Amino acid sequence: MMETKLSQRWTDRLSKSGLLFVFLLMTSGLYAQISGKISDKATGDPLIGASVLIKGTTTGTVTDVDGTFSIAAKTGDVLMVSYTGFTAIEVAVGTDAVLNITLDEGVQIEEVVVTGYSTTKKRDFSGAVSTVKAAELKAVPSGNVEQQLQGRVSGVTVVTNGQPGTTSIIRVRGFGALGGNEPLYVVDGVPVGSTDFLNPDDIESTTVLKDAASASIYGARAANGVIVYTTKKGIKNKGKVNITYEGLFGATDPNVAGAPKMLTPQQQADWTHIAYENNAAANGTAVKYNHPQYGTSKQATLPDYLHANGQNGVRGSVDLAAIQAAAAASPGTVFLIKPNKEGTDWYDAITRTAGIMRHTLGFQGGGDNSKFYMSLGIQDQEGILIENRFKRYTLRANTEFNLTNKLRFGQTLQFTYRSVLAQQGDGGGAGIADDESQVLSAYRMPTVIPIRDELGQYASTKAGGFNNPRNPVRSLDLNNKDDRSYNAGGFGNLYLEFDLLKNLLIRTSIGGNYFSSFFKNYNYRYLGDSEPEASNSFSEGSSNGFGWVNTNTATYNLKLGKHNFNILAGAEILNTGKGRFINGSGLNPFSTDLDYVNLNVVQSPVVNSGLFSGVNFESLFSKLDYNLNDRYYVSATVRRDGASRFGINSRYGVFPAFSAAWRVTGEDFLKSNTFVTDLKVRGGWGQMGNSNNVDPANQYSLYAANRGNSFYPISGQNSGADEGYFRSRIGNQDAKWETSTTVNVGFDATLLNGKWEIVADLWSKKTEDLLYTVPLPAVVGNSASAPAVNIATMSNRGIDFLVINRGKIGSKVTYDASWTSSILKNEITYLAPNITFFGGAGYRGVSPIRNQVGQPISSFFGYNVLGYFKDKAEVDGAPAQSGKGVGRFRYEDINGDGKIDPKDRTNIGNPVPKYTGGIVFNVSFKNFDAGTYLYTSLGNSIFNFSKWFTDFHGSFEGSGKGVNALESWTPALGNNAKAPIWESASNISTNAGENSWYVEDGSYLRVQYLSLGYTLPTTMIRRLGLSKARLSIAGTNLLTFTKYTGLDPAVGGAVDTNFGIDVGNYPTTRGFTLGVSLGF
Amino acid sequence: MKTFSNWRRVSLVLLAMLTLTFACKDNFLDVPPTGSLANAQLATKAGVEGALIGAYSMLTARGFSRYAAPNNWVFGNILGGDSNKGTDPGDYSSINTVQRYEIEATQGDLNSTWAAKYEAISRANSVLRLAAQAKDISAADLKRIQGEARFLRGHFYFDIKKIWNSAPYIDETKDYGSGIEKVPNTPGFWDKIEADLKFAFDNLPETSAQAGRVNKWAAGAMLAKAYLFQKKFSEAKGLFDQIIANGKTTNGKKYGLVTNFAQIFNAANDNHEESVFAVQTSMNTGSVNNSNWFDDLNYPYNTGTDGPGNCCGFNQPSFDAANAFRVNANGLPLLDGSYNSAANALKHDYNIESSAAFTPDAGTVDPRLDHAIGRRGIPYLDWIDHPGKNWIRSQPYAGPYSPKKYIYYKSQENTLTDGSSWTRGYATMNYTVIRFGDLLLMAAEAEVEVGSLEKAREYVNLIRARAANPASWVKKKDGSNAANYVLGLYTTPWTSKDDARTAVRFERRLELSQEGHRFFDLVRWGIQADVLTKYLANESVLLTTKFGGAKFTAGKEYLPIPQTQIDITGADILKQNPGY
Repeated sequence: MMETKLSQRWTDRLSKSGLLFVFLLMTSGLYAQISGKISDKATGDPLIGASVLIKGTTTGTVTDVDGTFSIAAKTGDVLMVSYTGFTAIEVAVGTDAVLNITLDEGVQIEEVVVTGYSTTKKRDFSGAVSTVKAAELKAVPSGNVEQQLQGRVSGVTVVTNGQPGTTSIIRVRGFGALGGNEPLYVVDGVPVGSTDFLNPDDIESTTVLKDAASASIYGARAANGVIVYTTKKGIKNKGKVNITYEGLFGATDPNVAGAPKMLTPQQQADWTHIAYENNAAANGTAVKYNHPQYGTSKQATLPDYLHANGQNGVRGSVDLAAIQAAAAASPGTVFLIKPNKEGTDWYDAITRTAGIMRHTLGFQGGGDNSKFYMSLGIQDQEGILIENRFKRYTLRANTEFNLTNKLRFGQTLQFTYRSVLAQQGDGGGAGIADDESQVLSAYRMPTVIPIRDELGQYASTKAGGFNNPRNPVRSLDLNNKDDRSYNAGGFGNLYLEFDLLKNLLIRTSIGGNYFSSFFKNYNYRYLGDSEPEASNSFSEGSSNGFGWVNTNTATYNLKLGKHNFNILAGAEILNTGKGRFINGSGLNPFSTDLDYVNLNVVQSPVVNSGLFSGVNFESLFSKLDYNLNDRYYVSATVRRDGASRFGINSRYGVFPAFSAAWRVTGEDFLKSNTFVTDLKVRGGWGQMGNSNNVDPANQYSLYAANRGNSFYPISGQNSGADEGYFRSRIGNQDAKWETSTTVNVGFDATLLNGKWEIVADLWSKKTEDLLYTVPLPAVVGNSASAPAVNIATMSNRGIDFLVINRGKIGSKVTYDASWTSSILKNEITYLAPNITFFGGAGYRGVSPIRNQVGQPISSFFGYNVLGYFKDKAEVDGAPAQSGKGVGRFRYEDINGDGKIDPKDRTNIGNPVPKYTGGIVFNVSFKNFDAGTYLYTSLGNSIFNFSKWFTDFHGSFEGSGKGVNALESWTPALGNNAKAPIWESASNISTNAGENSWYVEDGSYLRVQYLSLGYTLPTTMIRRLGLSKARLSIAGTNLLTFTKYTGLDPAVGGAVDTNFGIDVGNYPTTRGFTLGVSLGF
Repeated sequence: MKTFSNWRRVSLVLLAMLTLTFACKDNFLDVPPTGSLANAQLATKAGVEGALIGAYSMLTARGFSRYAAPNNWVFGNILGGDSNKGTDPGDYSSINTVQRYEIEATQGDLNSTWAAKYEAISRANSVLRLAAQAKDISAADLKRIQGEARFLRGHFYFDIKKIWNSAPYIDETKDYGSGIEKVPNTPGFWDKIEADLKFAFDNLPETSAQAGRVNKWAAGAMLAKAYLFQKKFSEAKGLFDQIIANGKTTNGKKYGLVTNFAQIFNAANDNHEESVFAVQTSMNTGSVNNSNWFDDLNYPYNTGTDGPGNCCGFNQPSFDAANAFRVNANGLPLLDGSYNSAANALKHDYNIESSAAFTPDAGTVDPRLDHAIGRRGIPYLDWIDHPGKNWIRSQPYAGPYSPKKYIYYKSQENTLTDGSSWTRGYATMNYTVIRFGDLLLMAAEAEVEVGSLEKAREYVNLIRARAANPASWVKKKDGSNAANYVLGLYTTPWTSKDDARTAVRFERRLELSQEGHRFFDLVRWGIQADVLTKYLANESVLLTTKFGGAKFTAGKEYLPIPQTQIDITGADILKQNPGY
């Protein structure tokens, strides 16, 4: 009945008014196009790119190169006008169609923060957020904008490496859980798992929501912080299209000089003989010099040929013709390798000066009722390792239309093609540091082996006596040169905004993310290694999927005298991505011609495929902001999330948050002071959820078939196997959200009219009900994944600190400086009954990591080295210790039981930096500007496991060794020795024990960026038809100050419970870039 | 009135939005798992049969530690002094502690071995549980399925018994959520092993179209072996008699000795008449876990295309194992243990470059030497003559010998090997857990202990007669014998029980050299301390870096219970073995 009446009334009204939009206009005030110019009050110069936003809405614009803007607003609206470095002001819309506004410089930055489903002035915000300027995201070229958060946002830890297009460890306020600690990324309102598809030139704003008060609007997915990106919008009534070009060209130097030094060929030979002497002394036997290459006398010598068709260590000449004939008869199996007596610099051989370029062409404009931003972007970046390459092509189109005065339609859309070739490291590159990568291979190859042999083939350890390293130049070249790999996808959303009532905005949006990937991979037979690749192999595969989100919100503003209310309510449903993959591999096609090879022509083909359904979420949320007279602020948020990730018993979670703020400067007693311009004290409490670290199947008990795990040739056949099943998972119906409870107190202060700005936050984040896969006793059957249960707890505490100073030196030089600091203390506080720790990965039998209650995540655990045993008497007098001997490690008897055994291991360091920070300093003088950026990470340790390979003769005896051999233990060096005695033995007293000798201070300070820019004078460029032109040069990663002896102290890892191990990191090295920025 | 209608309108729009959001089906949050099966799908005949295949598949210890290999190359060969780790000191250095009898309870491979055995047992238990739920299995099929599952369970508990002695015994009545983690370890579960094997012996058919299944006689052989380990010699003898008289393989061959000794280990000859119980392996399966992946490291090193595998020189036979093949002029072994003496030890190429001249030992040796141990100058199957040092990663460290049993032939590359992984050494010969030759020698032991020495001599001579077949001896390219092979039978009647015992045990060592039995034999005979001390005394003089200072101490007969399991389960439930 009601509907009938209502529709009757609508029809009536429509008939009266004729047109719906007229009706809308009548009922809710008139929209008019307001335009104007924003300029600097002091100079009168137009302010380009100043922000104009209608208060309480997401409607806004920015000024063009003439400082002009145009926006549809109605009488009674309030325009919030802001510009970096100027005092923001609010201007009420009256009857004037033209508003010329001037801003005061240098008083206060009035930042606008995009917090979840709405936009708020930072001034009115009572939670802990940080914003990053768009320019800062572009300063240092990288394959993923998230890397640029390093040191620029207090409370965010970033550990990354030098591979273009790599993933990184990005952690907002510590490590909340035992895994799955990636923040939630939201791009234009659509949650995404990664931001690697974004072109930094397209980004307008970046906001990091750190505490519950700001992030819990994202409820169940907010516990690890939320990073909100918005992309550029158009400008209405632009008149002409604003065309911009941003270009960047440069090169990265691989820092060959900084690579760890290896023994020369003669040194390696000499020290091999010294090792034989040490072995003989330790065993009480006569010395035998029996290396296949270095001769049988005490003085080691290099042979004339390391290898000549099966013969090793040949002295004298060889029958070249015969060898060539043999090689012709049996290609690829015959090698003739001469020693490289000067020594091969393998690091130099696998690296190169790597080029980079990035171009973005932007189009921005709009008419009366529409606006648009379009861009085309290309980034092509080489890695310093040969064949390593990153490419990204992007196309973005953002538009918005006024359908009526009250109804707006908009969309954002991006297509991305992204290709990363020859990337190494687990988890998309983040795990490079602890993988045995080609960087490590460069250390493992003896310098005496040349890159190529006398027959022009790659040379390697076919030459006897050098153990099993593989020629990394060959591996990188042959096994990558024909490979291809890319992702392609579309991403975007459509939205409708409707001013339902005065101050009541309804918004609905549908976002989607289509993703696909393809790879093909050719590896080629090569028999020159001691452990050769015997087959030509080929694999290829592809995947695709689609994720979507539908969000509906209503925002209501109410001002009742001194009371200001802002209410948000919304509902959201989403799927994180559903799709399939298929891939296959095979061996030895008849021909390796690229036009021939596919899965039809290989032997032993294997095809795998799979499907995934993603996770469904269903959510309701609401937020209330209240302030009294812009002086007292209270905010409350609540979100209820349901997710398919959990069983029916505990599928929903409710996440509340409260915060309050007091603008002290609003009080009368501070009104007259001139020192404190603005001071706001904030405090908040709230809860957020996390479920990233649990498999969606955790709720089910399952069986599975798996060729590697449960097939068996039951008929006794020698080819093929029969399908079998095994229990693959034990389910837990009761698993629920991990809950982080955050307490945050802080203040925002502006001093001396904006000359100084200080933001400080003291915070604590306690995560409870952590999903932990409590290890089941093996008797249950360990092929079944044990269920994750809500049991563990974790604590993170910290201080985030930001100081900004800006001003003028004399009348011409302006500067701004900011110092960002994050202090973090992470601790695992509980795991499970009887469980006080769990380990990490093993590295060649050494297990350095223990995640232990009372310690930070991924802590290093092992024997504490007291020194080297100095003589037989000390050895005999010391507690029992397996393999103890003169010149070997002497360990501390931690438990004092008179013997050294695994019970004597202890905490010997951890990889979580205690302090990270950055300093940005920008200065400008007339048309010149300069900027620098320093990043520091302090108080973390690195487990430098690469030394296992380079600093022990007994680790793959004969393979490449480092210069620490020269200072290995002798009676004279004693505890000043850099490595234990040079010998063959391998036991826990030598290389096989996890101990503090591997642990190094990982602190460093890096000059990440230094740039100089010149903006061409307007008069000059007008003649060129340009509106803006700026040229800049920059150096990146110019200097690194560290005591760490490895290649690069930025040592990450693929998982949070196992990082900080350096087995051969991909370094971040120095680069130079030239930038061009043009406006047409 | 206007306000009222506005609010109506607002309500309507909000209602519409909510409807839009939640218009999806009620079960929007029910997303079924992908690529998996539920219990109900497996509680059918087809499902149970598949689960049984899954239980069989654990015979290869797939995905777990190589320590858990069915051929026990680490715990049987290396601990038993048949081989050493091989390779060089830094490679897989955790095995260094094994070969030196210094293994710690914290070692990850030890834990992984334990986990492999119990994964297998849990799968067998799973089959029994599912079979009880399934309604569509005939009584005959049910007995067979239960028999196979219980055989497998018995086999894995037998392995656990040999390695750890004391362990928690879990059957199908205990599972996650029903007290499984509260079961303490105890050495007293021989009766359970016997019960499983007895059930299998009583209920399994003799033959099957699927040669990889265990049959009645395999179960009988395993049961008899269990009796032997418990020194129940008369029960063992009785059962051995029955098996020797009537036993046949699953594919219907009457038990017998393969005429050509080398063909026991050849993939092309899998499931031969000597194959009582074998681990089946295969290629082209999409995973090298279905091959003999556990032996992938156990090939000579840096062979290129001249030899098999790529990697890595593990499991190198010991000097002691090689010297044991020295025979006297009558072709009989040196039962007095003098084979390591300077006069008797085999001539070897230790510390001699491959480029330097070397002539192999010219003395009399048992022909089985060159089937078991790769050595310089002797044809390495159909590959080249073993070149010595060039094929050894670190000869000073690990000695001059290479493994040779269960190595694939050059002619089989890519037809009986799986080349799809990082090394070529994924081959498809079955590992024969119990072969008829082994069974005859176990029977001989039982005969000795019950006093029928002549029967024992008869069995031993059957074994020796097969090995004495000159057609099976390793030949040079010119067709002549590769070494001075002599092999004689025991022609004199055995009258001393001690002498007979010595001869049977020595024969077992030679016949089953490098097949993973040695350490467990020594322990059940109770002679481990004496034998291994002598072994170390001999090896440590030669391989000083490897064995300098190593010693065997009482208490190391069994391995330590993995510390990880004690930590998870609680020290009040899992008690560490003595000596650790």
